[in-house]
Amino acid sequence: MIAQMIVRNLFHRKLRTLISVLAVGVEVALVVVMVGLTTGMLQETAKRIEGIGADIMLQPPSSSIFLAFSSAPMSIRIRDRLKTIEGVRAVAPVLLQSSTSGGLDVVYGIEPESFRAVSGGFVFHEGRELREGYEVLVDDWYAAARRLRVGDTLQLFGHDFKVVGVVEHGKGARLFVPIRTLQQLFGAVDKASLFFIKCVRAGQTPHVMGELRALFPRYEIRPLKDLLSMMTPSSLPGLEAFHRSMIALAVVIGFLVILLSMYTTTLERTREIGVLKALGASKAYIARIFLVESALLCAAGILAGVGLSYLAKGVLTSIFPTLSVQITSVWLLRAAAIALGAGLAGAAYPAWLASRRDPIQALAYE
Amino acid sequence: MEPILKTENLWKIYRSSQVEVSALQGVNFEVYPGEFVAVMGPSGCGKSTLLYVIGGLTQPTRGRVLVDGNDLAALSDAERTRLRRHKIGFVFQRFNLLPTLTARGNIAIAQHIHGNGFDPHRFAVITRMLGLTERLQHRPAELSGGEQQRVALARAVIHEPKLLLADEPTGNLDTRNSEIVLGMLRQLNRELGQTIVMITHNPEAAAYASRVVHMRDGVIVDGIPAD
Repeated sequence: MIAQMIVRNLFHRKLRTLISVLAVGVEVALVVVMVGLTTGMLQETAKRIEGIGADIMLQPPSSSIFLAFSSAPMSIRIRDRLKTIEGVRAVAPVLLQSSTSGGLDVVYGIEPESFRAVSGGFVFHEGRELREGYEVLVDDWYAAARRLRVGDTLQLFGHDFKVVGVVEHGKGARLFVPIRTLQQLFGAVDKASLFFIKCVRAGQTPHVMGELRALFPRYEIRPLKDLLSMMTPSSLPGLEAFHRSMIALAVVIGFLVILLSMYTTTLERTREIGVLKALGASKAYIARIFLVESALLCAAGILAGVGLSYLAKGVLTSIFPTLSVQITSVWLLRAAAIALGAGLAGAAYPAWLASRRDPIQALAYE
Repeated sequence: MEPILKTENLWKIYRSSQVEVSALQGVNFEVYPGEFVAVMGPSGCGKSTLLYVIGGLTQPTRGRVLVDGNDLAALSDAERTRLRRHKIGFVFQRFNLLPTLTARGNIAIAQHIHGNGFDPHRFAVITRMLGLTERLQHRPAELSGGEQQRVALARAVIHEPKLLLADEPTGNLDTRNSEIVLGMLRQLNRELGQTIVMITHNPEAAAYASRVVHMRDGVIVDGIPAD
């Protein structure tokens, strides 16, 4: 009986119901897409680094796992020492720079030969390997997003780079330039930001890492197979706070919308509340009507939010093909719980007010 | 026989800032099971206040109200709500049906609040007696005033209350519909033994009752057999 009354009440004010559902949907989508975007980018970056095929990554002391924040204080000559370690097959120095032309991109400065030795080489969609000077390789996603072909010019760091090849994605970065060019551009001659190390056999990784730790005790030495699990929002400074801020914003939106919606509903239905009280409805009975009504609004909003999230993902990835939005069932459930909690909290005050309304005043309400 | 309703020196004083209005000034009044009592009086004499107090919608300032032996003044708000749910039915001048529910829903919700679930037999008896069988799927906006008041009547008696309280039940109806509703109140009283207290200022409506009492300035001034 209550369910019938609640459903009919929701349909009685269709526009208000629709707006409330949409607001809760936006709340859910905001959480899911924001978290999905940041997590997706991290995971996609981690997969790309793993995709290089190296076994170990050596970075200077206190370096971040997030390579965009790395600097270049290491001498490239460390490579010679690394090569002498038993079990090491290849070492590839990489100089990193972040480019902000048209978005934030990490550019790898590489030596084609050593990078090939570690990674097995690029799969070329078109073009050729890097040589010297202002040449750049772009991966296929980047090329598609920027509509780049071999022979086109790409401006990086205030210089025009010639696109000499389009390669399969998944080898660390989306942009590769000769390491010497990058060293000269940034005054980092003979410097590298990190070394990718390939072992003769994968089973030798622990041994090589032990040797590395003995030789470079303060350096960051990470096995690449664990990178995916290490690249989480909690390991990126500020990202957790960003997530919490987004969630707080979403909670406030959901809370206020449901509060306003249910408050106007209780005002509008004051006489009904009086009638129900006259019929002997308890305070709990009346509060339950409004709480269940808001829970239904939230449930519909959550469904709308799931749809909106996938819609937003589709739109974002079609406009920005290099973006990765990771929508997970865990965050869908969390966003649903957040929306439901915020909605019920928002409905609590109007429900409480309704349950305490004086029946005679309510019956006389115009 | 014990009265189903008894008031003893019942006072209700409304206080607003520095003004006090005594709506009831020592009402002594008894209603016995199976009676149909009309309470008549001019506007502002305290009729509706008396109905609200004996219906447990508000507390008296002084005095006692005994409904089926329960002293309302001694009950908590929750206990009065429970008593209302099980022992009292209300009919209002303005029908007060829930606009989103059908006639069936408006009647059934009273049974739902009562807590004993839907009783199809009782439902059929009442809706047939009140001539609502063909109108049950309609919403209030699709019903005439007389039909709406009959739905309200069905809602008030569906859970077999000990006492039916009607506040100017024909105040918003034309003559024909008034006669129908009053006739049905009398039918409920005579056929089902329903005890009824009806507030009215209309002598023609009061004539349907088995007893008429008059109120003036917050007190019952007499008790006159109507038949």
